[in-house]
Amino acid sequence: MKKSLRYIVLAGMMCLVWLWPAGSVCRGALYSMGRVIHEKNSLYNSIFVYQEGSVVTMRFGKRAGLHIQSQVDMENLREHLLEYSKMMFCGLLYNPQPKRMLVLGLGGGVIPREMRYYFPDLEIDVAEIDPDIPPIATKYMGFKTDDKLKVYVDDGRMFIKKQLRRKPVPKYDIIILDAFNGDYIPFHLMTREFLKEVSGVLDEDGVVVANVFSTNQLFDAEFKTFLDVFQRCQVFFGDLSGNAMLVSPGAKCEVLTVEEAMDRAEQIQQTLELSFDLVEVASWLDPEAVPDLKAKALTDDLAPVNWLREQETRSEKSSGAER
Amino acid sequence: MTNHDSTTTPPVESAGSRRLAAAAMVFIACACGWFMMELEILGVRVLVPYFGSAVYVITGSVIGVFLLSLSIGYLLGGWLSGKLNAWTLLGVVMIAVGVWQCGIPFFSEPVCNAIFDLGLDEKWGSLLASLVLFGAPTVLLGTVSPTVMHWLTRQASQSGFNAGLVMATSTMSSFAGCVVTAFYLVLYSLRATLCISGMMLSGLGVIVLAGVMIWSRTKQGKGQPR
Repeated sequence: MKKSLRYIVLAGMMCLVWLWPAGSVCRGALYSMGRVIHEKNSLYNSIFVYQEGSVVTMRFGKRAGLHIQSQVDMENLREHLLEYSKMMFCGLLYNPQPKRMLVLGLGGGVIPREMRYYFPDLEIDVAEIDPDIPPIATKYMGFKTDDKLKVYVDDGRMFIKKQLRRKPVPKYDIIILDAFNGDYIPFHLMTREFLKEVSGVLDEDGVVVANVFSTNQLFDAEFKTFLDVFQRCQVFFGDLSGNAMLVSPGAKCEVLTVEEAMDRAEQIQQTLELSFDLVEVASWLDPEAVPDLKAKALTDDLAPVNWLREQETRSEKSSGAER
Repeated sequence: MTNHDSTTTPPVESAGSRRLAAAAMVFIACACGWFMMELEILGVRVLVPYFGSAVYVITGSVIGVFLLSLSIGYLLGGWLSGKLNAWTLLGVVMIAVGVWQCGIPFFSEPVCNAIFDLGLDEKWGSLLASLVLFGAPTVLLGTVSPTVMHWLTRQASQSGFNAGLVMATSTMSSFAGCVVTAFYLVLYSLRATLCISGMMLSGLGVIVLAGVMIWSRTKQGKGQPR
């Protein structure tokens, strides 16, 4: 009798052990983005495309808590479902009339697609390392290439190196760095040496915009690296997400105060008839922001990016108010 | 218990010293296994800034070149083990690899840039760069295992056991080197890691060569160490 009780307890414990992960899987399913309409194991990612009504979502990997790469409402392509894609328009505050743009990392193609919509003559180059991403963005997420919007399947750093070897070196007005996904951080796209190469293809009137997460020490290290290379760097902190934009203007471009940024946003808002509130994005500029004093710039020699990402930010927010 | 093959080696050593020497041999095989894997993983960090993180660079170029070089090294080591004194060979190999490793931070940039300027893409460019930077030291490290196996083996019947022992211990050590490098050494400067490891390996080589010299002096007239 006693023995059978022991077995029951044991069985119960085993059930619990099993239910724990099973339960978290179910919880993940609650947050799901509809059903999977496409999946592909590419060289670099396991790409999952979900659909719920007219909303299509792209993720790498299925695990709950993984970052969404891209999300699009196919019935209203102008709507920015994720905060970061409209934040990336902050580059326009520094250069409202771009002629050539470079994007590293395609994802769902929201940024090049929307920039194309507002600037029909803008020349856009996109470098994307994963050959399976462009067809998926085209088929499911409303992305289209054209004569002046080209996608190169190439590592971002390799692409820029190749541009630097061309004569004359082509220059870009807006350079967008967005080549990160949830788990994998390409360290070679965050170092001082890389940003020096980026500055080689940046126009004097141009601006570099990098999408980063502000919640860990990797942010401070990157911020410091931007300051080292470009001397000036401003930060826009997202309102809802942990996303932040690091913005470094070219030599002839000015840094902005919040008022200037909001004034410019107002003008751009009117001329382009933007579908989202750029003035709000401009108001997220924190001109006082400085990196943590202990942060070290990342180099090809030392860039412990994964480790830094695991470390929490030292101060609550890296603002000028810190002691 | 020692099985001296009296036709090739004079019976100069006691069982105790023979056992100590065997342990030292296995230790050398382990050390070389560790540094080989460390170099392979650091090699990825060396190449990625120049050739990108495309899958070809890591899986194709670095791992491929290491396998190719190791196989050449095994062949070379097997051939040399019958001709040279094992201790001298191992000492020279460790010093050469260590010095090469210390040099990698200094010549990786010009080598990679020159190869990139040749117009080779990330596949063939990174393969060539990997061959130039890591081919020679890996060939040399490949000679270690057959040399150690040869030295340990005094009777044909022992050969299988010795081969298994050397392969198991050195591969286990490679595993440890792999994990430690990938998990922990990434927190330190690449240059410093390469230089310090190179110096450690060279230092070990110098100790072995010094040992050979002292041994041959004291045993002069009684025969050379095998």
